[in-house]
Amino acid sequence: MKKSSQKRGVKTSSYQFRKKITPWCILFFPMAFTVWLKYYPIVSAFFISLFQYDPINPPGKFVGFGNYIEIFHMQHYWDSWKNTFILLALQLCMCFLIPLIQALLLNELVRLQKCLTTLYILPALIPTSVNVIIWKWIWHPDYGVANQIVKFFGGEAQTWLSDPNLVKFCIIFPGVLGGGLTVLLYLSAIQGVSMDIMESASLDGCTGFGRIIHIILPNISFMIFIQLIMCVITTMQMLDIPYMYASGGPSGASTTQGIFIYNAFHQDLNYGKGSAASVILLFVIAAMTMIQMRFEKSEKE
Amino acid sequence: MKTIGKKRMKKKLGRSEQRLKIVAVVVSLIFAALMLYPMVFAVSSSMKDNSKIYEVPPKLLPNAANSLSVVLDYSDQKGSEEQLKNQMMQDSVLTMMGLSQKMSDDSIMEIKVYGTKDGETVYYSRAHQMKLQMEKDYGIYKGTAIKKEVLLHDERFIRACDSIGYEFNLNGVSKKAPEGLGSKFEKKAEKILEEKYQTTGTLVSVGDQVKNILNLESFKYYLKMPAYIYPESAAIQKFGFMTFVFNSIIVIGFAMISQVFLCSVCAFVISRKLSKRAGKAVLLFFLGGMMVPFASIMLPQLIMYKQMGAYNNYFALLLPFLYPFGFYVYLYKGFFDQIPASYFEAAELDGAGSFYLYSKICMPLSKPIISLIALQTFIGNWNDFFWAWLVTEDQKLWTLNVALYNISNNVATKQNALMGLAVVTIMPVILLSILFSKQLKQSIVASGVKG
Repeated sequence: MKKSSQKRGVKTSSYQFRKKITPWCILFFPMAFTVWLKYYPIVSAFFISLFQYDPINPPGKFVGFGNYIEIFHMQHYWDSWKNTFILLALQLCMCFLIPLIQALLLNELVRLQKCLTTLYILPALIPTSVNVIIWKWIWHPDYGVANQIVKFFGGEAQTWLSDPNLVKFCIIFPGVLGGGLTVLLYLSAIQGVSMDIMESASLDGCTGFGRIIHIILPNISFMIFIQLIMCVITTMQMLDIPYMYASGGPSGASTTQGIFIYNAFHQDLNYGKGSAASVILLFVIAAMTMIQMRFEKSEKE
Repeated sequence: MKTIGKKRMKKKLGRSEQRLKIVAVVVSLIFAALMLYPMVFAVSSSMKDNSKIYEVPPKLLPNAANSLSVVLDYSDQKGSEEQLKNQMMQDSVLTMMGLSQKMSDDSIMEIKVYGTKDGETVYYSRAHQMKLQMEKDYGIYKGTAIKKEVLLHDERFIRACDSIGYEFNLNGVSKKAPEGLGSKFEKKAEKILEEKYQTTGTLVSVGDQVKNILNLESFKYYLKMPAYIYPESAAIQKFGFMTFVFNSIIVIGFAMISQVFLCSVCAFVISRKLSKRAGKAVLLFFLGGMMVPFASIMLPQLIMYKQMGAYNNYFALLLPFLYPFGFYVYLYKGFFDQIPASYFEAAELDGAGSFYLYSKICMPLSKPIISLIALQTFIGNWNDFFWAWLVTEDQKLWTLNVALYNISNNVATKQNALMGLAVVTIMPVILLSILFSKQLKQSIVASGVKG
């Protein structure tokens, strides 16, 4: 009696088991590839960072947290953090609000809206290399437009990208023109503000700029905050743009975290130090992402 | 009394709205103009000639292009046919290189050389300014001084003529030497040829013509330029700049296909086959994989790929796209969740398997989301630079971004050629984005609202 019921149980559970196992079989390859291509390198970065890595017969000499201590004593490492934060500050001051303004104004337009939105997408589709080619020529000390404008206003000609004090400004400045996908995201958020609120506000005499400041901005503050964190995250990892403009810049003035890591293994061939820096960067970015997700969650609730 | 007050209020409200509208139009148009300026600047620079790009302040419009014709007469020469041909080739190289060098400020985009003998045109050769410039920068006359002895040293002029192209026939060639052309430059050209580059044939006439289409012809030579810069690579020799375009298409095409397929499979399983809790965990697992910053794993990733042999080949470029991007799985899942469950139940009752459900029910319904994912993959990844730059040493593997960066770092590259290549790169994308602007906007908004 007992036995037969057990047997039946096995039989049904075999079907159940098969039903349960199929999805995991399908998911196995994508998950394995994700682990292999994305998660394993993190572990490997941490592993390499504990060694004085020898690429010829890896992993080389074990040094524990020696690499971390070593980079903490490097002026160059702290400089690269400083550069990253200056770039971040410049990005936030100069560029962060531009797409918001563009979207707010775009919302007021009727006939121009369609073609201007198309125009605003374009900067997102133009490859960085093309942008860099164009802007390098604009910043050119002898033939560039930038110096012509400076001279026109009575200023002195600058060397722009070759000047350690100006290079960060030059790298960030092209973003002032705005555009990109953010404009569209803001615009859709603005258009998502409910009409009831708008109408009742206009009945109360809140129109024009008042409407933007008192009604629209508070209603899309969620979007603005998300974009702020996104902006911080992307700027912290900035790698190609400063590299293409100045490849780490005159006397390291545009060396961001990413370029520091790249230089550590490409120029100094010091894999351990580079990995240590990667792990620290990973933790910083992970913390930021955590904040973002937390905020998104609280907003949804 | 009351109605007047209301009216006034309405008027006042209207005015503040109006002010906002005017500000919106003006500021938006200023932004649009500022954004267009770099692009217009790039297009105009790409059409300028080699000396006008250094003009200060830079002009927005390129100069009119001149076409110069030089007619030389060989009636006095009494050599054999072979000797005559050699003389004519020497002369044509001298006039072309010499005039394009000494008259660089006159926007001469094309030089035609005619050789006549006894009233018959027996020699004709034509060169675009960019062609001559390429030969001077990277080709036969790389790093040489443009002097008579140097130009004709050894058999160089024969190679130059072969590369430029010429026609020679004692019974007359297809082109006839023109007569009665305007001759703005006759004096100048005559003086230059007399002083520096004495030709064997006697100079009969120099004519010029304005032909603006020549500014556009420059692009033909820009596309060939990589073949001059990287002569070691056979593929680039053959296809020029198109090699890099192909590479980009391969990489981004593979990324689009693999993402559309992989993510949909994963999302289908998560949405239909797993319990809610397990699905959420798997989704988080995929999302986490995507949030790993590239800068922090590029080093171990490079070491790993090198050990596997995925270095300096297409494998290295394509492999990073072979795992499902978490965000796209998330978008897919959102869509699949909305497909009514009754569809699947009905099919399952009829004995349909998972594969059938996926391929015959799920995918046909999800055309909009497929185009969205494809577009998103394109926008997100066609700008990738650093990884492609790390793993490719071979020039024939470069993607557009890498190639443009490397060409722009080559000191000999002229700015107009560089801008030309940049314009060639962005034009198709701009045109496509204008054509598909509606889908593009929808896809961006849809992805943003959910993310």
